[in-house]
Amino acid sequence: MESLFVQLLVIGIKILVILGVVLGLGAYLTLVERKVAAHIQRRPGPMVVGWHGLLQPLADGLKLITKEDIFPRAGNRFLYNLALVLALVPAVLVFAVVPFGPEFEVFGVKVKPILTDVNVGLLLVFALGSMAVYAIALAGWASNSKYALIGSMRKAGIIVSYEVVITFAVMGPVILAGTLSTYEIVQQQINQKLWYIWLQPIAFVVYMFAMLAETGRVPFDIQEAEAELVTGFTVEYGGIKFGLFPLVEWYVEVLSLSAIAVVLFLGGWSPINIPFLGFIDPLFFLGPLSPFVWFILKVALLFLFVLWLHWTLPRYRIDQITETAWKVMLPLTFVNLVLTAVLAPIVWR
Amino acid sequence: MIKKVFEKPLSWFERIFFIDFIRGLSVTIRHAFSKTITTHYPYEKLTPPKRFRGFFGHKVVDGREPQPAFDEWVERFKIEVEPGRSRCVVCLLCKRACPVPQLFEIEGEKLPNGKRRVSVFNMNMLLCTFCGFCVDACPVDCLFQSDIHETASYSRKDSVLTLEVLERIGRDWQRRREKEPDRIWIDDAQRMRLWYENDLKLPEVKKQ
Ligand code: SF4
Ligand code: SF4
Repeated sequence: MESLFVQLLVIGIKILVILGVVLGLGAYLTLVERKVAAHIQRRPGPMVVGWHGLLQPLADGLKLITKEDIFPRAGNRFLYNLALVLALVPAVLVFAVVPFGPEFEVFGVKVKPILTDVNVGLLLVFALGSMAVYAIALAGWASNSKYALIGSMRKAGIIVSYEVVITFAVMGPVILAGTLSTYEIVQQQINQKLWYIWLQPIAFVVYMFAMLAETGRVPFDIQEAEAELVTGFTVEYGGIKFGLFPLVEWYVEVLSLSAIAVVLFLGGWSPINIPFLGFIDPLFFLGPLSPFVWFILKVALLFLFVLWLHWTLPRYRIDQITETAWKVMLPLTFVNLVLTAVLAPIVWR
Repeated sequence: MIKKVFEKPLSWFERIFFIDFIRGLSVTIRHAFSKTITTHYPYEKLTPPKRFRGFFGHKVVDGREPQPAFDEWVERFKIEVEPGRSRCVVCLLCKRACPVPQLFEIEGEKLPNGKRRVSVFNMNMLLCTFCGFCVDACPVDCLFQSDIHETASYSRKDSVLTLEVLERIGRDWQRRREKEPDRIWIDDAQRMRLWYENDLKLPEVKKQ
C-alpha cells in the first residue's frame, strides 16, 4: 500500500514537471525563435517588454487569450475543436517516453527520469507522430476554407511520405541497440561506448530531414506557405486556438523529435564520446547533475540548429518534397539498413 | 542581345555533403553575430531629408518671400501683410491643383480698413494623397510640406490641419530647417554605415 502511494506520487510529480517544463518552454521558445530570426536578419527582435523582451511570451499569451474567438459560418464546431486536442495531446504525450537522465535516488526511492519506460517506447513515439496527421486533416476539413483544406492535404501528403522514411531511419540505431525502449537505447550506447551517429550518419541526416518535414519547418513548410496559402490549416482559427497550433507544431514537436534524435543518435545524457574508447566529460564538476545538463544542452543545440536552417533556406515545392522522400531518402535508408545489419556484430562484440 | 544563363547543376560532391546548405548557413551565422543595423524607432528617430513630403505648413511673412511674385499678388488682392502670420494670398491655386479639392476649406475675410487676409484654411489630411501638387501650385511659396511624418491621431477631428496649426508648423520649420542646404540625408551616419559596410568600391578604370 505504502509503496503504491509513493509510486503514484512520483508519477504525479513527473507528469507535472514534464507538462510544466514542456508547455512553459514551448512558450518561451517563441521568444528564442524570434530572437534568432531577428539576429539572422540583423534586427534586435523584441526589446521592449522586459529586459531584451524577456516578458514578450507572456504579453503574447495575454493578447491571444483576450482575442475574439471567431468560428467560420459553415464549419463543423465539434471537429474544429477536436483538431486542437488531437494536435496538442500526442505532441505532449511523446515526452512520456523521453529519458532525461540516468536513474537516481531521492529519500530512498529509485526514480527513473522518464515517465513510462515502456519497452516499445520508440513505437509509441512514431505512432503518436502519425496521429498529428489527423489533427491537421480535421483542422483543414472543419474550418470549411479552401486555404485550410489545401494546406492540410499538403501536410497529410508530407507526413504520410516521411512517416515511412523516419521509421526506416530509426531502424539502424534500433538494430545496434537491440531494443525499442528509449531508456535502454541510451544505456546501450553508454555500454558500447559509442554514439550511434558515428555509425549512422546517413540515418541521422535522413532523420533530420524527416523531422523538418513532420514539424513543418522550413525547407518543408509547404503546408503553411505564407505566400500562397496565408497560413494553411490555421487560417480559420482565432485567438488562443490559433496560438496553440504553431506552439504545438513548431516548438513542442520539434522539441520532442530533437529529444528523440538525441536519444537515438547522440547518446542521450552521456557526455562527449570518442567512438569505442570512452566518454570525456568537461562538465564533471556538476556531479550528479551533469547528465541532465548534457541532455538539455544537446536538445537545445539541435533545436537551435533547426531554427538556423529555418531562417536560412528557401522552401521546396510539394512535388520535390515527396519526390525526395520516396526516391532519395527511402532507398538511402534501405542501404543504411543493410549496412547496419552487416556492421552490427562488430558493435555487439 | 538576350543571353540565356543557366545555373550550373550541383556536382555529386556538393549534393552529398550539402555544400549549398552549408554555404547558406555560413552566410546567416555571420550575420547573426554581427551588429544589428536597425533604428529603434520610438526611441531613436532619423531626421528625414529636407525635401521630405510630410505634413503641411504655411510659411510666415519674414522678408524672404519670393519676389516679385509676392508683391504682385499682394497688390492684386489687396492683402494685409502681417509679419509672423501666414503668407497666404487666398488665390485658391492649391485647391485647383489638388486631385481631391474638397479637402481644402479656404476662406478670406475683409478687414475694416478695406484689406483682405486669409481667415479659414483647413486641410483634411485623411483625404490627402501627399502628392505635393498644391505645393507646386502655390505662387508665393506659402504652402509647403514639412518633415513631420508621425501623423497618427486619436480622432478624425485631430487630422484636420487648421490655419493656426499650419502657421505653427511653418514657423517651426523656418526656425529649424529653412537655411539648411538641400541635401538628401542630413544625419546619414546610419545610412553611410550601410554603404560602407557593403564595401561599395567602384572598379578602377584602366588606362590604355
Ligand atoms: S498633396 Fe496632393 S492631395 Fe494633398 S492637398 Fe496637396 S494637392 Fe491635394
Ligand atoms: S496656393 Fe498658396 S497662397 Fe494660394 S491659397 Fe493656397 S496656400 Fe494660399
